[in-house]
Amino acid sequence: MSKPTLLLIDDEERIVRSLRMLFFSGYNVHTTTDPQEAIRILREERVHVIVSDQRMPVMQGSELLGIARDISPATMRILLTGYSDLDASIASVNEGEVFRYLLKPWDAMEVKKVVAEAAAIAEASFDVQSHTNTQSVVERKKPRVLIMDQDETTAKTVHDTLGDRCEIVWASDAQHAMEELAKQDVSVVVSDLVLGETNVGYILKTIKQINPQTQCIVVTSFNDTSRLIELINQAQITRFLPKPVSKGVLARNLESMLERFHILHRQPALQNRQTVAPISDPKEKIQAGNFIGLLGRLRARIGA
Amino acid sequence: MRQADHRDKDIFSLINPIDAISPECPLEEVYELFFKPQYSKLLSLPIVENGRPIGVISRYRFMEIFLKRYARELYGKHPIREFINGAPLLVELDQPLSMAAQHVTANMQFPLTEDFIVTRRGRYLGVGFVMDLLKAMETQMRANTEALEQANQQLKSSQIALVQSEKMASLGQMVAGIAHEINTPLGYVQNNVTMGQELFQQIRVMIAEYEALVDNLLDEQASEVVIAAQMQQIAGMRADVNAQEMLGEMHGLMDDSMYGISQISELVLNLKNFSRMDAAATEAVSLNDCIESALNIGRNILKHKVEVIKELGELPPITCAPSQFNQVFLNLFTNAAHAMQEQGTLHIESWAADDAVHIRVTDNGKGIPPENLGRIFDPFFTTKPVGEGTGLGLAITHQIIQKHGGQIRVDSRIGEGTCFLITLPCASPVSSTAPRQPAMLEAAA
Ligand SMILES: Nc1ncnc2c1ncn2[C@@H]1O[C@H](COP(=O)(O)OP(=O)(O)OP(=O)(O)O)[C@@H](O)[C@H]1O
Ligand SMILES: [Mg+2]
Repeated sequence: MSKPTLLLIDDEERIVRSLRMLFFSGYNVHTTTDPQEAIRILREERVHVIVSDQRMPVMQGSELLGIARDISPATMRILLTGYSDLDASIASVNEGEVFRYLLKPWDAMEVKKVVAEAAAIAEASFDVQSHTNTQSVVERKKPRVLIMDQDETTAKTVHDTLGDRCEIVWASDAQHAMEELAKQDVSVVVSDLVLGETNVGYILKTIKQINPQTQCIVVTSFNDTSRLIELINQAQITRFLPKPVSKGVLARNLESMLERFHILHRQPALQNRQTVAPISDPKEKIQAGNFIGLLGRLRARIGA
Repeated sequence: MRQADHRDKDIFSLINPIDAISPECPLEEVYELFFKPQYSKLLSLPIVENGRPIGVISRYRFMEIFLKRYARELYGKHPIREFINGAPLLVELDQPLSMAAQHVTANMQFPLTEDFIVTRRGRYLGVGFVMDLLKAMETQMRANTEALEQANQQLKSSQIALVQSEKMASLGQMVAGIAHEINTPLGYVQNNVTMGQELFQQIRVMIAEYEALVDNLLDEQASEVVIAAQMQQIAGMRADVNAQEMLGEMHGLMDDSMYGISQISELVLNLKNFSRMDAAATEAVSLNDCIESALNIGRNILKHKVEVIKELGELPPITCAPSQFNQVFLNLFTNAAHAMQEQGTLHIESWAADDAVHIRVTDNGKGIPPENLGRIFDPFFTTKPVGEGTGLGLAITHQIIQKHGGQIRVDSRIGEGTCFLITLPCASPVSSTAPRQPAMLEAAA
């Protein structure tokens, strides 16, 4: 089997030199400091993983990754940046749909692990792409949408947009949300980061473990960059929409996330693309553990 | 009770100590009094009985009386009591000026024909002129407004001082930029060192193998089989790790690392100099150094966007708090960068003339609309979106320059650019009330 191809881009040449050395033994490595060159490589070659800096003179990393997504959807996208401002992070979710958001200075072992994981997933994606089996699974059940936000405008937009096609559940608190998640699979979750008094980060981070196909949209007025980065890596949220969010924007994103869910449902092999990183916060880890436990009990009871 | 004294004095100062007139005094005599020069300003005379005012008699009233035929002959000897206005305007001494004024204006008659009588606990003290009272009132009001204005000003400037410290934090943008600036070299340095360690480990193992092989080759008793196995082992290792090549590569990465480390140290040094926030500590510095320092710190914002042209002349040192001037220039430079949509030029000139230092900062950004020109130095005036600008940059800049006895002027044309001119006297009077700024960045460094 040939080595997977890795594309490294950073406007600081020393970064790419250093990374090349880290990867050259296991990968076919391309490096560049020029986004146009990166785009050209993406067009001409099968690239498994692209690792990009965010802050570059001509093009932001998130934008480049967005372009990469169009050119080569199977390529796994990773951002490696020393600069974490909110806008960049939001763009990296919504535009770049990154697999991981990594910070400089990085841990060599960790980056190696993440890239290896990404390369394996990309390989599988390329396979799926080449055997495009368009066997349309007949949807037996209506997709379910779970709202974890006390904001009525959010709920209303969800109802107006998907009400006719989906079963919509509006969870009033964390407990209710967990019960709903336990009861039946959910296709799309629309969630604020706080529900009532509860910080629901741990629920979002556990959702992919319950059903990897669930797509998660965060709508919130919280704007803490490091939390967002955590949610990208550990919850693979697919959209982050700062409140107040216009009806049109939310509606559009609901549609595309529902579509994304259907694709994953048809092509389960692709769902690994949203594999989450382990939860880092010790408290959330415990909460998530309890949640999974509760889930097991609930499912056992429902199943029985 | 400073305030109370103040009030007393105010009404007190309005008193004209006019000798009280007895109600029994004949009309004629009272009338004569009005012609005395010291009474020339009086509209009316007070009539007092047993120390208490019982009325006033006005010039106007006399006119009315004497308009009647033979009035003088008829009434001249009558006691004045018969003619007085028995409801005079009374003002108690012990009340605020404003209350007195309110009372007087509410009760005075038009046309104004009488003065008011000042009393203390009902006893006669003297006569007051309504006009004086109103004037006093007006002055006080103006003073009040001024005090209010002043308080407001003080509040504002202390607010600025306060936010100035916060500004270092709300340089959040800047801090993030600096973090990026440090994290980038830190990223490759750390990675290179990690890889270096690993390579050393591999090479150590290799050397051990080589040495073992050499030992065996020198040892006549060593078996051929063992040696062959060792040689095979080494060949395998060589196939895995091309040590020569890797070492060569590593050599380059070590150079990179040295470069990265020097970058980081330079930045840290800059930060430290920049934020020598024991701002009370003034030094004699050339403002050119502050300009350089600000350019260094702002490098991140300027780097890809702005071409900087410097024409820095020889400057006499100025006694000031350098960190504050670092901030002045940083504010100007960031504003200029923000004003540029795409690429732009920033022209920085400095020269000394007429016992003053002049610094001109010119950009070719989008310019400032004329209607905003008068407001840009106002605290919290910003045209930038929420979260991007606090609107304090120029307010702080202005405050710092003013404190150093200097001036800042602006000229701008829409679509062409903006020019700020700073003038500072060489012998700068450094105010001892310079607000202390926290050593926030220093701590970060
Ligand atoms: N060089 C410039 N070119 C064009 N406009 C400018 C320039 N400098 C200042 N301004 C205008 O003046 C306003 C006030 O500037 P100021 O530096 O006080 O605040 P700010 O830049 O908006 O916010 P802050 O500096 O606190 O981040 C700016 O919002 C901008 O509209
Ligand atoms: Mg500014």
